[in-house]
Amino acid sequence: MHAPVLKPILAVYTALFLLFLYGPLLVLAILSFQSGPEGGPQFPIVEWSTYWYRDLFGLNPPSRIAPLPISDGLVRSLALALMTTVVSTVLGVMSAQAFRQKFTGSGFVFYLIVLGMMVPGVLVGLGTALLANSFGIDRHWWGTAFVLHVVYTFPFAFLVMLAIFNRFDPTIEEAAWSLGVPPGRTFRKVTFPLIFPGVLSAMLFCFTLSYDEFARTLFASGRDLTLPLAIYGTFAVEIHPNIFAFGVLTTLFSLALLGIYAILMSLSVRRAQRVLVQEEA
Amino acid sequence: MPHDLELIGVGKTYDNGAPAVIDFNLNVEKGEFIAFLGPSGCGKSTTLRMIAGFEDITIGDIFIKGKRINDLPPERRPTSMIFQSYALFPHMSVRRNVGYGLDVKGMAKRERDAKVERILDTLGLTDIADQRPDRLSGGQRQRIALARGLVVEPDILLLDEPLGALDANLRKAIQAELKLLQINLGITFIFVTHAQSEALTMSDRIVVMSNGRIEQISTPRDLYTRPKSRFVAQFIGRNTILPGTLTAANDGFGEVQTTHGRFRGVPEGKIAPGAAAALVVPAEAFTMLPIGGGASAGVGNTLDARIESRDVVGPIIRFQLLVEGGQSVALEGHMEHYANGFPAGSPVRVSWDAAKATIIPVAA
Repeated sequence: MHAPVLKPILAVYTALFLLFLYGPLLVLAILSFQSGPEGGPQFPIVEWSTYWYRDLFGLNPPSRIAPLPISDGLVRSLALALMTTVVSTVLGVMSAQAFRQKFTGSGFVFYLIVLGMMVPGVLVGLGTALLANSFGIDRHWWGTAFVLHVVYTFPFAFLVMLAIFNRFDPTIEEAAWSLGVPPGRTFRKVTFPLIFPGVLSAMLFCFTLSYDEFARTLFASGRDLTLPLAIYGTFAVEIHPNIFAFGVLTTLFSLALLGIYAILMSLSVRRAQRVLVQEEA
Repeated sequence: MPHDLELIGVGKTYDNGAPAVIDFNLNVEKGEFIAFLGPSGCGKSTTLRMIAGFEDITIGDIFIKGKRINDLPPERRPTSMIFQSYALFPHMSVRRNVGYGLDVKGMAKRERDAKVERILDTLGLTDIADQRPDRLSGGQRQRIALARGLVVEPDILLLDEPLGALDANLRKAIQAELKLLQINLGITFIFVTHAQSEALTMSDRIVVMSNGRIEQISTPRDLYTRPKSRFVAQFIGRNTILPGTLTAANDGFGEVQTTHGRFRGVPEGKIAPGAAAALVVPAEAFTMLPIGGGASAGVGNTLDARIESRDVVGPIIRFQLLVEGGQSVALEGHMEHYANGFPAGSPVRVSWDAAKATIIPVAA
């Protein structure tokens, strides 16, 4: 088939693809501007308004609609995601570093680590809950759920770092040793700056995975709900567009995270260049 | 005075049991330029990496200035290594790269800066000292790596195929530069290469390796004119190898009985009369005359052959000859002798000086 024929077909295909991918998100975003408090979570839009955004921040006069019980969940989820990010990334970097050399049982350990992201979350969550109960351990988002989040996200950080080290030229480290730089300092001053973009990616992975983790958290987090659980809880009553408004805000938050990631990435490149400028001065 | 570097019975066996280096013995004096030469996989780089401390030593001992270094980690050995990939720190400027080894030593800033500037100047890097290495050419990066390795003042500089990534012209230029630098600094260089021209041009002595073993340790000249084994005879230069049996040996000469006659040469090492041996003749030791042109003194060292092919390489012409029975002879000589009268296909008689031929033992 010739390109002139193929081109419009591909264009339509791409448009449909994007529509399916982002359509639901778009619908959510549009419905979040529904009028309130009478407007429901469906078309048509009665009247465009920012009522449900104001509702999220408690700026509306009291009505029959209860405020979304999510602010505590938001704080918990952010804290949990941060803790998970730090621990999983450190573990990921360390274990990937260990895997740079073959060791006895390395294949087995590899699958043991990766298992954490393969097993169905519901089952692990349930298992952890049962285990915690039978050992008399209280379930908390900062305890049992935190452990499960690390087990789940650590393999992602590990795999990212494995790929990074795979492309890493080990002679650069050997060169440092041969100049008299001890291994610890070599890692901090030579290896780490070079793998830093990978570390950032691993952190981003861990954060986003943990932030909206549902299945494992459902069983393992105990009484206090994380954000995804809190949102799920609101479905049981009645759905109002305020949940859509919240969805838009969290999406913006995620985009902001990506933006920060991009900025940090370009900074890590530019910082190296600035060193040069300073030395020239 | 202890040797600068001494390897005694050094061997390396990989975890899977495959031997990489077997019984490596070598003494190196201060200021020597030593090349480890051999085909890839012969164990030359592994030996170098054992000296640097990047590979464990399975058996044997390595001494630097009389001190056993087997158990010292790389950062505490008085060696520094230059890599084929240069292995520069991409996140540091040229100056930082070069000075990094001194930072760690806790040297005073002024002294450190002076040393860095001096070596940058020596290697002509001052103009690019503030740039990042990834924007520079191969030759420049090569010199940065050298500066970085030399500024820490190692007892021994280890170079692992340092010219391998450069193009041919640049390689020649840097060869000369490297040799000059080594003479001026008086530092011992151990240079690993698979290119015999590099080894022959730069080194004081060459260690030829094959399959993990040392084949020969000689000066470039001896290696070229007096190979000690069939491997070296085939690997270095263009030699003709005539296999046979040693029939007699006296007053420094021996005789080898081959299928093409009995030839004289200089025996290398101990060969018992009656043992399998081979006569090795370098390509430029032959003289060639057209058959029917008369002449040719009957020293015994003559062969009749036919010209198979001729290649003009600058002022040198390379001939490939074939003796009846399948023995091939490699011959080369200057343009002025062979420009006319030696077309491919013509019958010729070659002769050589017995003193330029070497008799080597051959494993039966």
